[in-house]
Amino acid sequence: MSMTGSAVLFSPAHPFPRVRGKFMQFLSNQKTQIGLLILVPILVLVVLAPYLPLQKPLQTNLRAMMQWPSWTFPFGTDRMGRDVLSRTLEGVKVSLLVGFSVAFISLAFGVVLGTIAGFFGRFVDRAIMTVVDILLAFPSLLLAIGLVSIVGTGIFPVIVAIAFADVPRFVRLQRSLVLGLRTRAFIDAARTMRASKTWLLFRHIVPNTIAPLLVAASIAAANAILVEASLSFLGLGIMPPEPSLGNIIRDGQTYLEQAWWISTLPGAVILAIAISLHFLSDGIRESLDPRART
Amino acid sequence: MFAFAGKKLIQLIVTTIGVVTLVFFTLRLIPGDAASAMAGDTLSGEALERLRDQMGLNEPLMSQYLTYWRKLLVLDFGETITTGLSAGELMRAAAPITISIALATIVVTVLLAIPLGTLAAFLAHKGKKGLDSLITGAAMVLDLMPSFWTGLFFLLFFSLTLGLFPASGTVSLENPGHFLQRIALPVMVLSVTQVATMARITRTAVLEVLSEDYIRTARSLGWSELRVLFRHALKNAALPIVTVVGLSFGSLLNGTVIVEFIFNIPGIGSLLVNGINSRDYQMVQNLIIVYALIFVTINFVTDLVYRKIDPRVSF
Amino acid sequence: MNFARTMIDTVLSVRDLRTEFATDKGVVRAVNGVSFAMRRGERMAIVGESGSGKSAMAMSLIRLLVHPGKVVNGEVWLQGRDIMTMSESELNDVRGNEIGTVFQDPMSSLDPVMKVRDQMVPPIMRHLSLDRARAEAAAVAWLDKVGIPDAARRIDAFPFEMSGGMRQRVMIAMALSCQPKLIIADEPTTALDVTIQAQIVELLRTLTAETGTAMLFITHDLGLVSRFARTVAVMYAGKIVEIGPTRDVFGNPKHPYTQSLLSAIPRGADGGRSRLVQIPGFPPDMRQEILGCAFKDRCLGAEQRCGEAAPPLSARGPSHDAACWQPNGLDAGSLAQMRKTTDRAARPDVEALPPHDILETNNLSKHFVRGSMLPWRKPVVVRALNGVSLRVRRGETLGIVGESGCGKSTVARLLLELDAPTTGEIFIQGTAQMVFQDPSSSFNPKMRVQDIISEPLDINGRGSKADRAEKVRTLIRQVGLDPSYLERYPSQLSGGQRQRVAVARALALDPTVVVADEPTSALDVSVRAQIINLLCDLKDELGISFVFISHDLSTVRYISDWIAVMYLGEVVEYGPAEEVFRAPAHPYTRALLDAAPVLDPSAEDDRPVSIIKGELPSPLDIPRGCGFATRCPHVSELCRTEKPILVQRQPNRKEACHHVG
Repeated sequence: MSMTGSAVLFSPAHPFPRVRGKFMQFLSNQKTQIGLLILVPILVLVVLAPYLPLQKPLQTNLRAMMQWPSWTFPFGTDRMGRDVLSRTLEGVKVSLLVGFSVAFISLAFGVVLGTIAGFFGRFVDRAIMTVVDILLAFPSLLLAIGLVSIVGTGIFPVIVAIAFADVPRFVRLQRSLVLGLRTRAFIDAARTMRASKTWLLFRHIVPNTIAPLLVAASIAAANAILVEASLSFLGLGIMPPEPSLGNIIRDGQTYLEQAWWISTLPGAVILAIAISLHFLSDGIRESLDPRART
Repeated sequence: MFAFAGKKLIQLIVTTIGVVTLVFFTLRLIPGDAASAMAGDTLSGEALERLRDQMGLNEPLMSQYLTYWRKLLVLDFGETITTGLSAGELMRAAAPITISIALATIVVTVLLAIPLGTLAAFLAHKGKKGLDSLITGAAMVLDLMPSFWTGLFFLLFFSLTLGLFPASGTVSLENPGHFLQRIALPVMVLSVTQVATMARITRTAVLEVLSEDYIRTARSLGWSELRVLFRHALKNAALPIVTVVGLSFGSLLNGTVIVEFIFNIPGIGSLLVNGINSRDYQMVQNLIIVYALIFVTINFVTDLVYRKIDPRVSF
Repeated sequence: MNFARTMIDTVLSVRDLRTEFATDKGVVRAVNGVSFAMRRGERMAIVGESGSGKSAMAMSLIRLLVHPGKVVNGEVWLQGRDIMTMSESELNDVRGNEIGTVFQDPMSSLDPVMKVRDQMVPPIMRHLSLDRARAEAAAVAWLDKVGIPDAARRIDAFPFEMSGGMRQRVMIAMALSCQPKLIIADEPTTALDVTIQAQIVELLRTLTAETGTAMLFITHDLGLVSRFARTVAVMYAGKIVEIGPTRDVFGNPKHPYTQSLLSAIPRGADGGRSRLVQIPGFPPDMRQEILGCAFKDRCLGAEQRCGEAAPPLSARGPSHDAACWQPNGLDAGSLAQMRKTTDRAARPDVEALPPHDILETNNLSKHFVRGSMLPWRKPVVVRALNGVSLRVRRGETLGIVGESGCGKSTVARLLLELDAPTTGEIFIQGTAQMVFQDPSSSFNPKMRVQDIISEPLDINGRGSKADRAEKVRTLIRQVGLDPSYLERYPSQLSGGQRQRVAVARALALDPTVVVADEPTSALDVSVRAQIINLLCDLKDELGISFVFISHDLSTVRYISDWIAVMYLGEVVEYGPAEEVFRAPAHPYTRALLDAAPVLDPSAEDDRPVSIIKGELPSPLDIPRGCGFATRCPHVSELCRTEKPILVQRQPNRKEACHHVG
């Protein structure tokens, strides 16, 4: 078999540069770096908290009630003389646990149900989407409130309640991604090679939904952290003495005039975490799709 | 238009039936039943049985369901278990307050967010990064501020320090001046998040439209930038904006629960939190349904507005 | 520089225009010093491949570039005033008034939420200072003039209620409505079908002649240039490399780029089948400073001084300039070398081949049923394909031509079993594989070239892992790529390279038939030539049969042995390609050939202007008799009531028409 005449046209030298690995690209993204710059120090503090010269989160200190922030108590103390910083770090642990569990659970359910609905269509699709539409008729915090009123308070029920409210959003996202991919020419190309449904699903469709799902999941984590804090603030989430950022703020509300730091500083930490997760999500999006920059 | 509205109305009814059914049956999932959960350890066997009877829990499930519908359709929400007051009346008193707060927030949001977002988009389109990044960055931070946290700040600053707005006292439409003073802070708190969200959406939508071909056509016909922006760009960007206004109404309703709690406003959010704290499940059930209905109705209206702006929609 | 034309009747004169785009990855110098002049009523074309800077140049003329694009230097004189130094409000009085603009995509160039009236009337009121009633009357008159039926009523339509052709007519009416001195048309017909394209070009030609408006026509289609333009400027890497009267430039090109471009296009008329010229390499990276001539790396005639200094435009004839150090550009020898000398073997004799069918379809039809949510509504039936019978023999290429909506892509999908036919049967000996139109979307972006080419082998479990890897290396060499490309992702390949990979993938399963659906329509002229050459080579070497689907008549003519012309889901004419093109029998085939421009300005001038009227009927509502009856010049009562069937009248030729023979 002879080579065609055009073979010489393309030598390896060409004007299209190689792209670095996706993960390196993610790390070198400016928004990722901003996000990490906020999140990593918080994580380090949370991990190191037990070894830092801080008063234990639950320990009261009647000689140091409602103290201004100082070197000993960087975030001040509350009405029972507990260290607000060490309680906050304990609360961050809970927040992150809730945030990532919710993101993971809703991602997992969303991917499975959304893929089934989008790929197999017809009756299954209609059944799943009817339920999803009904669930989406509830404002998310209210659905979570309604659910915790049934399943009770505490970390685990709160995670379940928030995830339940989030799953329909992921189902809908995944379904629309799958529907969009199903019409792409590379699916047709694979079908002309007699690819099975499993092949189409696991080689072509699911891998191409991962990036947008990760973007959505990091937003969902930030959102779950905010919802958990709201629930605990309303007294419906995680109950004292177990510290959670929401119930620390709720505690401080009564003493707002005398000790503003009890409520405001932990709130700033929530904000910082939420912002860092949003930056990370932008980082994922931009590093996976260079056109996404606006 | 009528066919479109009809289709959407059918969807609305189906969703409503689904919402009511879902809430009704979810409530039956409570370990034990609603009555024992409600009573906790306070009631003895006989008293508990009486409570069950009173709540209709001893009837067959289907007949409970149908009774529930029958009452719902005539807006009979029963009585609150703890106080014995008519739940319907409580809700009728509370709903206008929450709705006023929500509507006032929407007005403030639209007035502030759309000009801000449009301005940011216009600057970004022209490559003037400075002010655009400032608006976009501020919007991102404000958007993510937990509303209970902003609420406490506003309470501390405007109410406790400056003494501008009262943080307690009655809230009644019969005294409009005082009413407005009382809802001013909640509206401001909610507006922070809403303005931020809406400004971001507006910016994205307008920026996208500005790179469309028909914008270039408008320019090629000799229209000034201002006219291009307001006649062509904003009108087309209105489509995604309207959709988001509808959807973000959900987060607005979420927010009302929190601001009512912080500022002691007797709206339906306060009823809800009180209901949960006193384990009044029927009250909670009804309120969740009311919230869902407000939300789906708003989305129904949004769909109609969308159709009004965009002649192409015909599904 | 030849400024002989800069005289009193000059409408527009451009001097040293430079435009840059400040992107994240550096400054792209899109336009690098362009100068030219246009007279009153002159029709001038700017041609170039994608990235040549032709559109950026056109948009720079009226400062329609948006950030990050910026005109950094140059003067644009419009009747004694420099557009570049005008204030914003002066500029707005020129735009739409003295200079009208028509854009490429009529589907997106009109505001979707505004009625035609609201887009068209206010500019007339403003520029011509007319009251509303008069402006409306003028708008309706213009709509009527551009051929919009029932203009007084259609002015209240929304753009989405009109076809692409109709929208482009509205655009033209808007551009002309203030009687501008100059119209800038940026690829105004690229998004349209051949027959509609011919109508629009004819409309622009007559209207500019009537009104004395000068017209600057930006296009990549050299055939259109020879039909439409008196003067042509060829752009490469942001510069005009050759400019002059179209007859001279096309008849006697002097710049190597023009010369190779003109030889890269299949010409129907030259009968034999010489290989197309391939331009090696890639256009230069416009972010880098270009030293010397921008074309030197791809030019076989390049010498030392080409790398030292860029040649200026210098005279080669009356008003004919070229920017090359060589007075006559490439010699014949170099061009022949670019064809790789091996001229194509004469076509296999159609009669002599054993009648060995590889593919046959019988009475194939496909109807799509669209149900409604409302149960009482009757479901809508789209008749995409109505009884198509085709035959492809071993080693032959069947070309399928037709305009969008004729069902040619549906045929491809049925042949590949992507959709099931409503009725009819398909017989294929061996396997069929496909090459898709858009090389960017037909690959999974997450897969490397290696996995892409290997995928059909993996799915079907052919051979051991090592066998497959070896096969993949053979395949990629076969399509003319170095095996080092196997490590890349599709996004790291150029359009032509992607299409090569697509061909390699299609060959992996050793198919007997390859169905190629518009495989070259997304590619530039020079790249298109490479892919066409590749397909021809493969056919000869491997004895594969091809079904080649395209709207591009000259490409189909070049590549096909047999041809099927489709209209509204039916084959209306069928026969040996050369015969059908030389002597079309069906009125639609004739109309198509008349509508398609050829690469010869004098032939275009001599050609009688007979352009088919009207547009394709909706496939929802197919005429009862002959599908073409609504547009046919020879229509009779019989055509409206009775559907003609495909009849063989001469050996090898069939047509479906009551009035042939």
